[in-house]
Amino acid sequence: MINDEYFLAALRLAAGNDPMPSHVSAAARDVYGLRVPQARTADPVECAAIRTSSGTRDDDGSHLMRFVTTGLTFDVEMTVGDGLIDVAGQVLPYPGEGTLVDVKTPHLTLTTRIAHNGQFAATGLPPGWVSVVCHRPGHAPVQTGWVRIRP
Amino acid sequence: MHRDTAELVHAAAGGDRSAWDELESRFGPLMWAVARACGLGPADAADVVQGAWLRLLQHLESIKDPAAVGGWLATTVRREALLLLRKDRPRVYSSEVVEDPDPAAAVLETDGRQLLWKSVSALHEPCRTLLQLVAIDLGSRQTAMRLGLPMGSIGPTRARCLERLRTLISAQETAR
Repeated sequence: MINDEYFLAALRLAAGNDPMPSHVSAAARDVYGLRVPQARTADPVECAAIRTSSGTRDDDGSHLMRFVTTGLTFDVEMTVGDGLIDVAGQVLPYPGEGTLVDVKTPHLTLTTRIAHNGQFAATGLPPGWVSVVCHRPGHAPVQTGWVRIRP
Repeated sequence: MHRDTAELVHAAAGGDRSAWDELESRFGPLMWAVARACGLGPADAADVVQGAWLRLLQHLESIKDPAAVGGWLATTVRREALLLLRKDRPRVYSSEVVEDPDPAAAVLETDGRQLLWKSVSALHEPCRTLLQLVAIDLGSRQTAMRLGLPMGSIGPTRARCLERLRTLISAQETAR
C-alpha cells in the first residue's frame, strides 16, 4: 500500500516546481547546534494523575505534560499568552544541588538553576518547538522530547 | 568521498557536523515535498520539517535502521503534518517517535521517483496530464479547465489516476 502523500510528494519532487526554500534548509542545519551529547531522552507519557489533579487547562492557554525516563520525571506546564510562551515545571525526585535546567527552542535557550523543590521556570519564549534539559552534576544530561506549541 | 546514509547517521551521532549537513542535503527536499503534499502551507511545512530534524537529532543513536533514515524522516514529517491538519489538535502536542518507517516512503528514493515519473508518462489521458498538473500544484479549478472536466470530478479522478499509477508501479516492481 502506497500512501497518496508519498506518491504526490514524489511527483512534486520530480516536477521540481516547489523547491524547498533556503531558510528551511538553513533551519534544519542549525538544528545540529541544539545537540546535547550523551543526553538520555525523557519521553512524554499520558498521565491521568496530572490531568485530574490540576487539569490540562487547555482552555486558558495552559497545558501540562509529563516526561519520564529511568529515575527522573519532568512535569512541565506550558502557558501561551500574548503570542509568547511561559514554561514552568518540576523535576522529580529533586535532582540535587547545582542542577541546571535549559529550556530550549530552536532560536533561544534559557538556563536556570533549579530550586530546592526541583522547580524551574522560563518566560517569554517564542512559540514552536520546545524541549527541557536537566544537567545534574556527575550525571549524563536528560532531555525531554520536543513538543510543539501553537501560539 | 561518498558516504552512505548509515555512515552519515553514525558520524553525525559522533559529533560530525558535515555529516548532518549532508543528511540535510540528501533528505531535506523530500521532507519538504511530503509536508507540502500533505496540504500544509509554507510556514507549517517549514515547522514540521524542522520538527522532524529535531526528533532525528535526539534519536541519532537509537534509530533502528540508520540506512533507512530517509524513510524515517519522511514518515515523521507525514505523521506530524497529518496531526497538524487535525481540527481537534491540542495547543501543545508531540507525535510519537517513528519505530518503523512507512514502506510506502520508498517511492521517494531517487530510483523510485524516476520510475514513478516514467510510469506517469505511460498512463492514458486524462491521468497523464492530470498527475503532471498535480505535480506542479495547479489548483483544481485550473486543472479542470485544462482538462475540460467539471471541477467536482477532479478529486475522484485524481484518486482513480493514483490508483492506476499504483497498480502500474506494483506490476513493474513485480516484473523486476
